[in-house]
Amino acid sequence: MFDQIGFPLLITLKIAGLSTLIVAIIGMVISYILARRDFRGKWLADILVTLPLVLPPTVTGYLLVVLLGKKGVLGSILYDLTGWSIVFTWQAAVIAAFVVSLPLMVKTTTAAIEAVDREYEYAAFTLGRKELDTALFITLPLAKKGILAGIVLSFARAVGEFGATLMFAGNIPGRTNTMSISIYSAFQAGNNELANMLVIILIVMSLLSMAITAKVVNSWKI
Amino acid sequence: MGIKADFRKRYYRKKSDKRKGIEAAFTLDAQFEVGDELAVFFGRSGSGKTTALQCISGLLEPNGGKIIVNGNVYFDCHKRVNLPVQQRSLGYVFQNYALFPHMDVKKNIAYGLKGWNEKDKESRVDEMLRMLDIKGLQNNYPSQLSGGQKQRVALARALAPKPDILLLDEPFSALDRIVRMKLREKIKEIQRELKIPILFITHNHVEAFTIADKIVVFYDGKVQQIGTPEEVFYHPKNCHVAELVGVTNIFEESSVVKDDEMAGTLTICCENLKVTAKRPECQVKEMISWGIRPENLRILPETDETTINENTFNACVKSIVNKGSTKTLALEIKEHGNLMIAEISDQFFENLNLKEDDRCLVRIERDRIVLF
Repeated sequence: MFDQIGFPLLITLKIAGLSTLIVAIIGMVISYILARRDFRGKWLADILVTLPLVLPPTVTGYLLVVLLGKKGVLGSILYDLTGWSIVFTWQAAVIAAFVVSLPLMVKTTTAAIEAVDREYEYAAFTLGRKELDTALFITLPLAKKGILAGIVLSFARAVGEFGATLMFAGNIPGRTNTMSISIYSAFQAGNNELANMLVIILIVMSLLSMAITAKVVNSWKI
Repeated sequence: MGIKADFRKRYYRKKSDKRKGIEAAFTLDAQFEVGDELAVFFGRSGSGKTTALQCISGLLEPNGGKIIVNGNVYFDCHKRVNLPVQQRSLGYVFQNYALFPHMDVKKNIAYGLKGWNEKDKESRVDEMLRMLDIKGLQNNYPSQLSGGQKQRVALARALAPKPDILLLDEPFSALDRIVRMKLREKIKEIQRELKIPILFITHNHVEAFTIADKIVVFYDGKVQQIGTPEEVFYHPKNCHVAELVGVTNIFEESSVVKDDEMAGTLTICCENLKVTAKRPECQVKEMISWGIRPENLRILPETDETTINENTFNACVKSIVNKGSTKTLALEIKEHGNLMIAEISDQFFENLNLKEDDRCLVRIERDRIVLF
């Protein structure tokens, strides 16, 4: 029972949680830069970050293998140095989830930061506060609704991630069989009872997280 | 001490225009000195007032020139000095207050007091609350405040870190008249108490007149005139300034037909309209511009034969606008064909009993004519 339901649930939460944490931090940095800075090649950076949103997940997964696989561009260096390859590990699933959910975080957060009136930042500057200080205590708090939306979307996307994970992390029982992948396997094997169970758990989880988010946002005045 | 500024800021239609050497779409050329006094930047929107203020604050970088405040070089193009905003000791009040919505009044005011110990912070915030008469509001959030209260908090926040200068960008434009009047008095009081230079932007000439020690008039990116309110209002230097201070009737390029130094009068003619004005003490040019404020036009009934003398013309009332305590009349001058705007008191208007299309006489008071 644990192997069939408990493990997929735990590994999914672990992967999605970790990837969302990384997405939130890196996403906020990228979003702030995209929203507030002008630099050469900004359009290119924007496209690169957004790309996984429009690419089929299998393509993203394939590219990750090409890049980080045992014989991949970066992966081969890592393998030569440590004798370890990331492919077919839970860490690979985190990377896959990170890559596909980053655009959701960046798009929502960039829009939220852009919507913050620059006058608040200017006011903070005239009061002697540096840009980092201002970003942390003025800009990001004022954009928190958008940031939370980005985090929730990223988490949902990470939980539901299938294509890229399958390509890059595989479907290894006891290692990388996440909820989404387990549902597919159970369905393929004709184990409808298990599939139903997993589906219900996922639906309840999604509803719960949406409800909690809505509650939190409603308690915020600004 | 005070502000010495002489700088330029150019705006281009496109970024590439600057590289290509295409002329800037707008150039601000600001040159002024302000002591420990309340100086008003006066001009229409788009005349460069806010740009000038932002250059002084460091929110914008000028393209050339120098800005020195209390002997500290804020900006010097040649020496490549451009002090970051954070290191310029200034208080800035924005038109829409820009109070941090996620902080209460106390936190807003204390925000600029980084590095102060808690006790000093507390007492400084308290001092500011008292100074601006907003004690009791310290735990409120900006959304719970009225416009006037918000502006007081914004002033308290700007003044809390004891800035060298205070910059105010149209601070009262969103407030109603009574609140505005009270806050104007407050600003004057603050200036007298702190004795620091205050730059105050407005496009309202009544506000400029009532509040200023010195007025800097901006038009089309250039400083047109600097002087006391009296100098600017009664002796505008050119037609731009005259128009800004409310001289609605302006006649440019009039020829001087008679320059009577003995009598101290000057007769000017502009498209058949011949008027006599008080002669200025300086040398008189051949061509001169002149104007008259709407309240300095006298309206007389047409039957009043005895009053026909100099500077009096036949006119026809084209429109009447009721402004409450005064009436504004548009008058077509017969000799000239152009419209003049007059403003007369309610009571006087009642005595005249004028309607649209009625005829009347207009007298231009000789001593009230503004020459420039």
